[in-house]
Amino acid sequence: MHFAPHLYLDPGSGSFLIQLLIAALLGAGIALRAYWGKIKELFGKKAKADEDHDDPSN
Amino acid sequence: MRTMTTQATKGQLSASFRDPTGFLFSRDGVLYRQVNRKYEQEYTRLMQSGLYEKLTKVGLLIPHAEVDQPTIEFDLVPSRETVYKVIQPERVPFISYPYEWSFGQLKDAALATLSIQKRSLKLGMSLKDASAYNIQFVRGKATLIDTLSFETYNEGQPWVAYRQFCQHFLAPLALMALKDMRLNQLLRVYIDGVPLDLASKLLPWKTRFNFGLLTHIHLHASAQKKYAGEEVKSHRGSMSKQAMTGLIESLDSTIRKLDWKPGGTEWGNYYDITNYSDAAFEHKKQLVREWTNRIQPALVWDLGANTGVFSRVVSEAGPRVIAFDIDPAAVEQNYRQLKAEKNENLLPLLLDLTNPSPALGWANRERDSFSERGPVDLLLALAVIHHLAISNNVPLPQLADFFAETGKWLAIEFVPKSDSQVKKLLASREDIFPTYTREGFEAAFKNRFNIHEAVNVNESERVLYLMEHI
Repeated sequence: MHFAPHLYLDPGSGSFLIQLLIAALLGAGIALRAYWGKIKELFGKKAKADEDHDDPSN
Repeated sequence: MRTMTTQATKGQLSASFRDPTGFLFSRDGVLYRQVNRKYEQEYTRLMQSGLYEKLTKVGLLIPHAEVDQPTIEFDLVPSRETVYKVIQPERVPFISYPYEWSFGQLKDAALATLSIQKRSLKLGMSLKDASAYNIQFVRGKATLIDTLSFETYNEGQPWVAYRQFCQHFLAPLALMALKDMRLNQLLRVYIDGVPLDLASKLLPWKTRFNFGLLTHIHLHASAQKKYAGEEVKSHRGSMSKQAMTGLIESLDSTIRKLDWKPGGTEWGNYYDITNYSDAAFEHKKQLVREWTNRIQPALVWDLGANTGVFSRVVSEAGPRVIAFDIDPAAVEQNYRQLKAEKNENLLPLLLDLTNPSPALGWANRERDSFSERGPVDLLLALAVIHHLAISNNVPLPQLADFFAETGKWLAIEFVPKSDSQVKKLLASREDIFPTYTREGFEAAFKNRFNIHEAVNVNESERVLYLMEHI
């Protein structure tokens, strides 16, 4: 695949590759968490909403 | 007032040249940003997806207005084909740089960048850079000032700004929190952030047991070394949106866990160890308040502000105040306090007056020096002169020159040799300052200033002056 064709910063080869590796791992973690949430829901617990809880400086 | 270095002939800001999608320019003292035709699609998406509105509403992105303003002419590029729009961003009253921020300020700038990235991903965009220099403190809040930092997000694509984010934010924050606060000054040397191999070497070995630091710094540095100069194309790969979210969340939680407690430094508890009484303190406050109301400055620099007690007295009268201090603990305390009180008029910054921020970057014109960001309407120099004249041996006439070039009005406190703080400074050294007297001080400053007021501070041997630059 092609990465963004209009890059004006050099993202660095090593940085790209390690990122793919780490992100794959962390993405899998998120998927697991989602499944775990669904399992908990089955037993009557509500999954917590994560919409916009990320106001940075407060 | 000159706030940013511009190229003399064209008005294009000299720090604004890297990104081909547009640039900043200034005309008649107003700041504009040219958006190039090349950026039309991304700009439209930013404005129409609701992202612009969402980000400006919570103060994460600087608001702007589209204006019908002719752009500046270029010799080489026919501008009509290049220009898509000209926008006028809200003016930032004072531009500060990451090497002038306390730990908490850099941390909030990092979290703001990640928060913007999260919100962008939800609306189909992504940050194409993550430079700490794109963040400024506006009304007390870390705010992205580069409207052209967004690009369309195509699922599968990694975060192009990942390396830059780690260098500009994660590496210095980890070094400050886990090794030594003073390592923030590496940002002054490395304008594109702390090289990760250097951060990896400097960080304590135990940081390898921290998953975030192990991956984003140590392994990241090794990968950079291993694959240096190799083409990315040969290692194809794709990154799902879920993986991207995982990456951003991991950076976020790694940074949130980094912390630093101010204290234990030179000045952290300065006000507990001062030699003057409550009456003297109140008298100083009253004079500063009175003079601010009289002068009505728009912008004030408080030099040697400590945790900002007098900066607050000034800011209550309306002006924006930049509270400079040399001590990272004082700046940090000041910042935490202003966040708690939601003070929008105050900006604490780290500054060594004996070696203020220099002009940095390409041709020394990307980041302005301390003095290039002045002169300011009113300077406050309370309980600071003895540190410059005695600890740093600066002759009084040179001090007068410095203050005259930095501000129009000056509220300055003279601390005589008989004062216990000065006695302490002279205790272990020879007194080579025969002219350091009230008379010597006034004689030196009269060359550059009209002295409007000279008031003996109650219950103290100190004198507070109000002067106007000639």
